Amino acid sequence: MESPNLLDLRELCTQQRVMLCFNGPISKNLIEEFGTALKNYLDSEQLQASSVIDVFSVYIEMTQNIRHYTVARGYAGADATATVVISHEDDGRYAVMAGNLVEAEDGQRLCATLEGIAALDKEGLKAAYKKRLREPVAEGAVRSGAGLGLYHIARKSSQPLAASLKPQPDGRVFFCLRATV
Amino acid sequence: MHDIHIPGSPSTPDIHGDAAAGILAIRGDSYPENSFELFSPVIDWVRAFLAGDDRLLRLDLGLVYLNTSSVKAMMDIFDLLEEAHGRGRPVAVRWTYDPRNGQIAELAEEFREDCTFPFEIVPC
Repeated sequence: MESPNLLDLRELCTQQRVMLCFNGPISKNLIEEFGTALKNYLDSEQLQASSVIDVFSVYIEMTQNIRHYTVARGYAGADATATVVISHEDDGRYAVMAGNLVEAEDGQRLCATLEGIAALDKEGLKAAYKKRLREPVAEGAVRSGAGLGLYHIARKSSQPLAASLKPQPDGRVFFCLRATV
Repeated sequence: MHDIHIPGSPSTPDIHGDAAAGILAIRGDSYPENSFELFSPVIDWVRAFLAGDDRLLRLDLGLVYLNTSSVKAMMDIFDLLEEAHGRGRPVAVRWTYDPRNGQIAELAEEFREDCTFPFEIVPC
């Protein structure tokens, strides 16, 4: 088997203005370590403290969502792989993207939630976020997650969230979410 | 009534509940994967303190960044304070933040909207 062409990968990253990227099985420690690297990088770009927190918080919600999902579904190894990319946008903002494998019905459900979120304006989003905050954690749901992450991400994103589902040969789908911060 | 001390880490805040002084201090970032596990003993401590005598409970907060599950846990604590306040129990929150970071004041302000007890948000 041919080994991956690192130069191609590097050139693709450079061309897409990728600041940091990760692809592999995700763990609690990895989220923290990669998050620290992201924070340090943003600090070094002389970003305002509040912007650093916004980008960082979107990264944390996306990756912890993936982590909670893989744990709840009992995924391990390659199934628990997350793809995370943070890149520069032309206007000085950042694109935060994360993708993972999900069951087809979960992907549909996620997209339905995101459509509901997309229909809300700023005030509506805040109200929905606060309502969600007060809902008891559903029976059988992952206890550590409040289900609030997507609402938080939408509130921090200056552009509507972009989501896509790509069907995979095994019947699952690759779910990808993109926010602009 | 016992004290509670949970030392901080890069992803969890330093938490210190002093029963004699009636102060619960929480400082730092809070983005653990399992916020329920972290905050559950803290919520129990607040509940026990408020169930005791009628001394003031003061929250001294220096929280910087919270993930959404930590936000939910903090809201549970504020709900306990609100309920105690409704019964006439003195409670107060003082949340200090770095003025270069307005996001924290915004977050604190959203919490305050749902509280009727004294809730200070102070740049320092």
